[in-house]
Amino acid sequence: MKMEEKSLSGLNETKLEALVDEIYCDLVEDACLGLSFEVHRAVKQGHFFLDDTDQESMKEFEIVDQPGVDVFGQVYNQWKNKECECPNCKRCIAASRFAPHLEKCLGMGRNSSRIANRRLANNNNLNKSESDQEDNDDLNDNDWSYGAEKKAKKRKAEKVYIGYIWVYKNLQNSPRRSKSLKHKNGELSGSTNTEPYKYSYSVGINYETLGPQELRSLLTTQCGVISEHTKKMCTRSQRCPQHTDQQRRSVRVFLLGPSGLPSLPSVDAVARGNGYNIAGGQTLLNRLQWEDPSENSTMDSVASNSSGSNPSDPRRPKKKRPSSTAYSSAVPGDAVQRGSGCQTSAGSSSAGSSTSSTSQGNISFSNKTKRPKQLPAASMGSVYDEFN
Amino acid sequence: MSQDPRMRATINQKLTEMGERERLKELLRAKLTECGWKDQMKAHCKEVIKEKGLEHVTVEDLVVEITPKGRALVPDSVKKELLQRIRSFLAQHAT
Repeated sequence: MKMEEKSLSGLNETKLEALVDEIYCDLVEDACLGLSFEVHRAVKQGHFFLDDTDQESMKEFEIVDQPGVDVFGQVYNQWKNKECECPNCKRCIAASRFAPHLEKCLGMGRNSSRIANRRLANNNNLNKSESDQEDNDDLNDNDWSYGAEKKAKKRKAEKVYIGYIWVYKNLQNSPRRSKSLKHKNGELSGSTNTEPYKYSYSVGINYETLGPQELRSLLTTQCGVISEHTKKMCTRSQRCPQHTDQQRRSVRVFLLGPSGLPSLPSVDAVARGNGYNIAGGQTLLNRLQWEDPSENSTMDSVASNSSGSNPSDPRRPKKKRPSSTAYSSAVPGDAVQRGSGCQTSAGSSSAGSSTSSTSQGNISFSNKTKRPKQLPAASMGSVYDEFN
Repeated sequence: MSQDPRMRATINQKLTEMGERERLKELLRAKLTECGWKDQMKAHCKEVIKEKGLEHVTVEDLVVEITPKGRALVPDSVKKELLQRIRSFLAQHAT
């Protein structure tokens, strides 16, 4: 090693450089040799010339290098200014807008049915301006499908947050739209709808499009009360709290004639006895939810929640029982009449009397402003009294 | 100097033992492919083969035809880099 070191240090630069060059040459030759082997093997195996094409093809697919044109020789926005004639409406449409136009023109495609339905609904709303005063108030307040307001809202925002659930608006007879209901909580029933007319949200149906048989079958299962707002039938159950039995009856009479009443289960439930549970928890809750201070003053029998009579005129619905057919819905604010109305209703006389008595008993509560809180407060008071 | 051959042998040995030779080889191959030297050489090979006939080409033919051209076609940048690396190796390990 020593001798090497001496010899190396003794090397002048040219020698060193020569050495370096030699090493470099070796490396390059190695590379060439490797390449020759590779090529020779490819030739002998027959795949050396595979990627060759003839001259003509090569020229054809040569890379294009001109301004205004891409490497394939295509112009960028060649079809921008072209126009096509629509075979349907015979209009000249720009090429890039042709496909969406055709979709709408022919009435096929996802959005066209939606738009058409919306247009129909709006036309119906505008055309039907006959307003039953009482119906107006009822239905305006209680319907969740805003007919006239649809226009005011953004077209694209079809999802509305009402209370604590998301409701998809503008949904009509489209079964596939039910898949949008997956956002909803348990309040409304499941999102798989096989029947096209049965929805789990409170958007109604346009009764004009239905035949009498369909109407009849519909009315036997659904509330069917026609909303003044949207001119649609309520698709909730027969016990829908938003509408009274009186309304349901009038709708059936209106749509099916006097013979349409059998489609109301309330008629059958006459014999049921109506169970006016005095402290019916569910109805109580419903009533509490829907009651307003303004309603209290008018209605004495408001607190006769058990009977499920109408709390007041503006808030007609929230009746859980189909039985109460003659809850004199027409006249608001008259407890006595209510009571009598209850009594005269078929088969509910006994219950009605009990109702009126309870209504008397509860009058004190009804006149307070914050009624929902009164009942618990009263019970609380009584408990404390016991302690004291 | 009489020491030269021995010295060269030693250096070459060291180069190989330490794996530097392999590394340099790989580096060179990569650089040549990158700069298109390989494709050029392949095109030249095609010509040679067409000349000699597909069936009768031998490795020797190719080597003889390709090596001089290959040496000449190596780009300067690649050559310089490689020389630099060799020099630094020598400087590091030879003294």
